[in-house]
Amino acid sequence: MAGSNEVNLNESKMVVPLNTWVLISNFKLAYNLLRRPDGTFNRHLAEFLDRKVPANANPVDGVFSFDVIIDRSTSLLSRIYRPAQDGEPQLNIVDLEKPMTAEVVPVIIFFHGGSFAHSSANSAIYDTLCRRLVGICKAVVVSVNYRRAPENRYPCAYDDGWGALEWVNSRSWLQSKDSKVHIYLAGDSSGGNIVHHVALRAVESDIEILGNILLNPMFGGPERTESEKRLDGKYFVTIQDRDWYWKAFLPDGEDRDHPACNPFGPKGKILEGIKFPKSLVVVAGLDLVQDWQLAYVKGLEKAGQEVKLLYLEQATIGFYLLPNNNHFYTVMGEISNFVSSDC
Amino acid sequence: MSPYDSATSSGGGSGSSASSSAKPSEIDGLLAGAGYKVRSSDLRHVAQRLERLETAMVNSPAEISNLASDSVHYNPSDIASWVDSLLSELHQTASMPSDLPDLPDLMVAPAINHTVLSDAAWTDQDAPQQLNQFTVVTAMEEDSGIRLVHMLMTCAESVQRGELAFAGSLIEDMQALLTRVNTSCGIGKVADYFIDALRRRIFSPQSVCFGGSGSASLYENEVLYHHFYEACPYLKFAHFTANQAILEAFDGHDCVHVIDFNLMHGLQWPALIQALALRPGGPPLLRLTGIGPPSPDGRDSLREVGLRLAELARSVNVRFAFRGVAASRLEDVKPWMLQVGPKEAVAVNSIMQLHRLLGSDSTRNSPVEVVLGWIRNLNPKIMTVIEQEANHNQPGFMDRFTEALYYYSTMFDSLEGCALQPEKALAEIYIQREICNVVCCEGLARVERHEPLGKWRARLGQAGFRPSHLGSNAFKQASMLLTLFSAEGYCVEEKEGCLTLGWHSRPLIAASAWQAVPDANPPLGIVNHHSNHNAL
Repeated sequence: MAGSNEVNLNESKMVVPLNTWVLISNFKLAYNLLRRPDGTFNRHLAEFLDRKVPANANPVDGVFSFDVIIDRSTSLLSRIYRPAQDGEPQLNIVDLEKPMTAEVVPVIIFFHGGSFAHSSANSAIYDTLCRRLVGICKAVVVSVNYRRAPENRYPCAYDDGWGALEWVNSRSWLQSKDSKVHIYLAGDSSGGNIVHHVALRAVESDIEILGNILLNPMFGGPERTESEKRLDGKYFVTIQDRDWYWKAFLPDGEDRDHPACNPFGPKGKILEGIKFPKSLVVVAGLDLVQDWQLAYVKGLEKAGQEVKLLYLEQATIGFYLLPNNNHFYTVMGEISNFVSSDC
Repeated sequence: MSPYDSATSSGGGSGSSASSSAKPSEIDGLLAGAGYKVRSSDLRHVAQRLERLETAMVNSPAEISNLASDSVHYNPSDIASWVDSLLSELHQTASMPSDLPDLPDLMVAPAINHTVLSDAAWTDQDAPQQLNQFTVVTAMEEDSGIRLVHMLMTCAESVQRGELAFAGSLIEDMQALLTRVNTSCGIGKVADYFIDALRRRIFSPQSVCFGGSGSASLYENEVLYHHFYEACPYLKFAHFTANQAILEAFDGHDCVHVIDFNLMHGLQWPALIQALALRPGGPPLLRLTGIGPPSPDGRDSLREVGLRLAELARSVNVRFAFRGVAASRLEDVKPWMLQVGPKEAVAVNSIMQLHRLLGSDSTRNSPVEVVLGWIRNLNPKIMTVIEQEANHNQPGFMDRFTEALYYYSTMFDSLEGCALQPEKALAEIYIQREICNVVCCEGLARVERHEPLGKWRARLGQAGFRPSHLGSNAFKQASMLLTLFSAEGYCVEEKEGCLTLGWHSRPLIAASAWQAVPDANPPLGIVNHHSNHNAL
């Protein structure tokens, strides 16, 4: 590995802007320090290194945010982002949960990435992303601070996602004029995985989800696919680290055929004939797990579910974190269309 | 292909500019939005360091666990210095060795819409005056709760406009509404306290603000403080992080002198004494100077505390000397009273005291400048500053009231989980007194003039201090301290070398450490790492 290092790093440098390269490489190296070979995680150092930002009820660039406790027993927090009304300089504590004025307002429940182990709803990169989503989609964004692995394995993250969904669905102040909450689920990396599984759980309930948005979703399986072998270590991510995160999230003793990891694998649920939300799946062409992501899309298609694939050939993981590349704008445009097409 | 306009750029910082050519000395705006501080001109250099670090890590995998567990990390926002510190831990030299090829000019994909922030913006000086950060308790769903808050705001607004009669009638209405709300917890409890504070402001401010410094009142204060100390971790966090910084600053010194700006019962010091006792190489001679209000009833309470601490020090074989300095106000303390010796390593410890210096009549030098001035002249090895992380010193009443409502709501919420009685009840009274001072008092009587970390940073920078970063070791130990508390929801965060303790993502108390800048050069508001570059 030592000899081929320089080549790998140069390849990744060719395809992303310099500041993106610095950002993602910084994460990569920091994360290397946090994953221990014995499967434990250096949580203290992780929290120390993670850059966080507070909520801000003063509108900044037309968006304000505040945190709510959804479930005290698990300390489940979510950060709510709302568009500020024009000419509204200062908000009262009362205004935060004011009903919305527009005819239809999409509410996007967002699950941040981090391979189930890293980041939080108040991580700077995700706070920034959620703020952008508000502006672009004219939506309310609810970013869920779900419990993370390895301290909290499957199904904690899904339980928290479900809890957030129920909470959002029951808020009268999040309703559009038709007295319904227009819910979309969105997430990147592990967040994308959570989107699928929360939507799956919702199928058996009377909560309607209008659409799923999966950005570079985290899926996997026991085999090594062609894309994993081809792209291992070349664009910030290695097979080895992917294995570590699955091992940290999945129940002890389970392999990557577990349906949480491989929803269309041998242990997956059958999706034919059920009312599953339409999906927008974004796959980065330089993401080594793309074969699993494409298999996911195929799985949805074969089950007769509505799915749109957005394949970005030259994109790496994390391309959506900084608005300095064309993929970013393409994807944001697609997401905006996706959540407004039901209005 | 059309780039989005600046309205969608990073939301957390100050206003953005959609300039296409970044001035080299400016911080990369997109990385700033991600919480990192890198100059645009340094990006290439930082990238190279990251590469070197990766190579080093790959080549010595056994070292990685050391880097993670034993190394102390500082100020992760400054990627360059973080990477460099890891590299030096991996025994790499700071200069670029000749065997690494010069990296080719990076053909990077064109970056669109580089927003940039100047250095000045980074130090929060231009940040909006209000920092309304808070956690909303879900009990807000209750209609009566919402109405109460609405009325509180209206009442505060009337007070600001001077319509005291109307405000007074609102008090009555609110008290009536309170009977229909659960005031034992949640929004009802918080509203209860704030209605009470407004009532006092409108009807009897004198009773609050000039209540007295009699012996009963001082004794009460100490009791309440002690219960606040027990009921929630804020003071323990303060003591703990300060002691950590002081211990490190005293490393290698044989004569050390701690100056405590508010001795109280000296709860902070047993831990430091014990840590010094266990120091490899043996403990130093420790002098402690404790400042506190004079005891009105003939007791010398400062001396009593000193005697107890001396007893403890004796029991662990630490040579110890104590001196009490009685002063009603910190600004009455003169440096000669502290009798600092020339060879001593001095630590100045200020736990929620500096903000009390911010009220002043404009006819004389501002007390905070005077005090910071003489502290600087003492050339302390470390000055630990712990302050409430809130903006309660704004000139407008409405702003202060709103901010206080948010801040103390969060603090009360954190106390809900406390099962200890009477600690919890008395801690609430302790907090209530703070609320009353913020809401009811004006002028010199208003001493609870909390300001957020960004403002203290600027103020201390102006006064000739530079930050001494608190690292991952202090962070980890503070986090572990929190696990002793059953209420899950407390969180420690690192922000540019300072640590904050908060409840459910809202920081409530901020701890920082400072050193005097050696010469009378222009004061630094941020750590300047140009020197690192020169060394390469």
